[in-house]
Amino acid sequence: MKNPYLPIPMILKKARIETSDRMLRTLELTFRHPEDEEKFRYVPGQFCELSALGKGEAPFGIASSPTEKGSLKFTINKAGLVTTELHRLEEGSEIGIRGPLGNGYPIDLFQGKNLVIIGGGFAFTTLRSLIAYFLHPENRARIKGITVIYGARMPGLLLYKEELLEWEKRDDLRLVTTVDWGDKDWKGKVGLVPNVLEEAAPSAEETYAVICGPPVMIKFTFPKLMALRFPNERIFTSLEKRMKCGIGKCGRCNIGHLYVCKDGPVFSYGQLEKLPKDY
Amino acid sequence: MIQQKLREKAKELLSSKTVDLIIGYGSWTLPLRTTPVFIRAPEGVESLVWNSFCENNLTTYLHKFSRLKVGVVVKGCDARSVTALGLEKRFPNHRPLLIGIPCQRMVDRKKVKKAVKGEILQAVEQGELLLVKGEDFNVTLKREDFLYSVCQVCTHRTPLHADVLIGDPVEESPLVDLHPDVKALEGKSPEERWEFFQKEISRCIRCYACREACPMCYCSECFVDSSRPRWIEKSLSPSDLAFYHIVRAYHQTGRCTGCGACERACPMDIRLTHLTQKLNQEVKGLYGFETGIQPETLPPLSTFNPEDEQEFIK
Amino acid sequence: MKFKLDKKDFENFLKDLMETYDLFAPVQLTEGVSVFKKIDKPEEVNLTQLVPQKSAKEVFFPQSETMFRYEMSENQSPIVSEQKIGRERVLLGARPCDIEAIFIVEKVFIGEDYTDVYFLEKRKKTTIITLACNHPLTTCFCSSTGGGPFRKDGSDLFMIDLGESYLVELLTEKGLAFSKNRFFKEAGSKEIRLVKELEEKAAKKTDSSIPVEGIEKRLDLMVESPFWDRIHEKCIGCGTCTFLCPTCHCFDITDEATNQKGERVRNWDSCLFPIYSLETSGHNPRPTGRERTRQRLMHKFNYYPKNFGRVACVGCGRCILYCPVQFDVREAILYTSSRRTEGRKGKFK
Repeated sequence: MKNPYLPIPMILKKARIETSDRMLRTLELTFRHPEDEEKFRYVPGQFCELSALGKGEAPFGIASSPTEKGSLKFTINKAGLVTTELHRLEEGSEIGIRGPLGNGYPIDLFQGKNLVIIGGGFAFTTLRSLIAYFLHPENRARIKGITVIYGARMPGLLLYKEELLEWEKRDDLRLVTTVDWGDKDWKGKVGLVPNVLEEAAPSAEETYAVICGPPVMIKFTFPKLMALRFPNERIFTSLEKRMKCGIGKCGRCNIGHLYVCKDGPVFSYGQLEKLPKDY
Repeated sequence: MIQQKLREKAKELLSSKTVDLIIGYGSWTLPLRTTPVFIRAPEGVESLVWNSFCENNLTTYLHKFSRLKVGVVVKGCDARSVTALGLEKRFPNHRPLLIGIPCQRMVDRKKVKKAVKGEILQAVEQGELLLVKGEDFNVTLKREDFLYSVCQVCTHRTPLHADVLIGDPVEESPLVDLHPDVKALEGKSPEERWEFFQKEISRCIRCYACREACPMCYCSECFVDSSRPRWIEKSLSPSDLAFYHIVRAYHQTGRCTGCGACERACPMDIRLTHLTQKLNQEVKGLYGFETGIQPETLPPLSTFNPEDEQEFIK
Repeated sequence: MKFKLDKKDFENFLKDLMETYDLFAPVQLTEGVSVFKKIDKPEEVNLTQLVPQKSAKEVFFPQSETMFRYEMSENQSPIVSEQKIGRERVLLGARPCDIEAIFIVEKVFIGEDYTDVYFLEKRKKTTIITLACNHPLTTCFCSSTGGGPFRKDGSDLFMIDLGESYLVELLTEKGLAFSKNRFFKEAGSKEIRLVKELEEKAAKKTDSSIPVEGIEKRLDLMVESPFWDRIHEKCIGCGTCTFLCPTCHCFDITDEATNQKGERVRNWDSCLFPIYSLETSGHNPRPTGRERTRQRLMHKFNYYPKNFGRVACVGCGRCILYCPVQFDVREAILYTSSRRTEGRKGKFK
């Protein structure tokens, strides 16, 4: 019987510091054993538990899209014991992985509809997966309009800057990047995400909204979505909670009777309304 | 009698709004026990009791109510905890009002349980007697044979610096030295003492009841929860268990009042007061200091005096 | 199949058992404190304490367990899983409440999606010999949670203390493996009659009045009730109730390592500890005792029932007996009942 607590080995192929404050590092991992790669099937929004053996394990949303074969990408925020180690490891090191875990974004529900994606700061990781997935030629026709609003505090703190530049040039999606404070090189928009959303005013008709960001951003953006008439069942978010096992056994990440690791991390606001405010 | 006076005083304090909240002891569902009660309305004082089962140190709750004006029922040892906490600047808003009750020494419920065969259904105090009833037994015990060991050697039963004293101050016992059980342990060789200690803490389940029951353990991050550096693991290895108890005891040096709340809280009956009694005796011997007696004297381990005994750091 | 086992043969019976099985039974560590442990010598077995502090869940889900070991080498870090146990096991002397609790934990650990292989391995390899409760305590309310002092469900063998001997009933295939045991004598009508008497007496003693029935629906309406503001006040936030509770199953996972070698270990954890839900960012969704006490009671009586159809409480009374401040879960349950607005002894004001 497969032991769900055993990590499979991955190699750190490439590492890149994403932000000017050096706190975010994107890891590109490849599978050590090809048979593991074959068995690994995921959807955007799922996460993995990355093991830095000796230090511990922590959950991270998968930033790469399943359409990007051959490797997995994770963006790590240096904050504690495990993440500091993941920042320290050099290319060629081995990192353990358990996954894919969680429920992922409801891709099937989005079929034939419009999508509004709102991201803030470094919560953008799984949103990158979602966007890359739908921009892929195999999937683009499955949904109609894509609007992306992505904000960070400063230009240096934006993730995936090269990709953002490429996406801006495309005509099959509408991308607005914004910052709270610009700098002398920043030519783009300056403004808080909730206000930019209000300006962009996407129609709520036949549209799903996916929102990921720090609690303060969500607190002010959510009312704007309500004002735009998005019903709770069509607003999705990916929650974070302290996790250990990632498979619904250790009891830690529950919100009411649901587990963020197993029944989430993606929830609709319709679901969250009925649960205790335990997050 | 004291109980009635206590209720009257509590009612007065709440009605006059001198305090917002009174923390005291109430009777509850099991015999030989009381439970902490939190009373806000004057009518609620009827749930206050005073007897030989008021074993908890209620001052451990004070940090939860720092925004309120709190009156807390204290025995001699508990009152000293408040003085010690005051020195550590734990009351920035309102100093708690101490409702002191000179202590008749508390009954060790685990000792009583061992003296009878079967479940105790009822225990009633009658003066110096304890009437204990079970399904198949009905015994009369002498209260003084069943006191907690720290209570037996207590020299500060009258709460010091109490704002209100319910009952008359008691004549304090002369200083006795350590409790005979602890003295016996002291007389053993270091190897025997280490063996005793290892055996006691081998039962530990890391529930931290001792830490939470203790009013002096109030750190927002306890050393056991630190991850960088990770001083100690969470498992039950002998070295982790020893580390936890030894370090916690040393963090109490000069701050512990010897109230015994740690030992009473422990579900595995670990005799923690053997450690605390000895530590307190050492502090008294080396620095002439007893916790919570002088409200102006800082604890010895947070001060340096050139006259301090320095034998141990040569 | 019913047999009689004389108490004078008991130690030898255990000695025999220990040749084939690893025996787990209650051991008295000091007077009044018992835990379930692996037995080295038959004399260690002590069945006098009705409710040992640590429950039988220890046998399937130890407080501290190594999940795997690893050693980093040149090319790879071979991970060696520690899921296998050596010999088959016998769990002897657990009471029906503890056995009921194993099934409650099992529903979480052995799921449709993922299986906790450590728990499963021990579960499959253990024969359960349950001991009935002739003298339940006043704190026992197993009959309110669907259990009972003579409940046989989940047992492979069922033992009843008759004074000079035990009556042993073989219930399952694992139990039938004992049918030829050389210490088992035929049980006569006298023994059967005595069992019936004891069973009737015991059934009257457990508390069936605690209104556990329907508590899930009642708590649905109480998520933001001011009840939680008061009830948590006396809880000091230790882990005693969670560690002693036979159905609590939260755990923490950490790596313990020195240089290149190490192991991943899991240890019991408690939702009542403040750092349990503390996130690295510093945000804590359960910042005070109010949220944590609510979590514990809701999990037992509302969340678990929503997922698995029954409350995660077996009425063993350990949390009542051993709580340092006498938090009484029965009073909390009574308070939620529409029939009473105050506990029997006091008010939650």
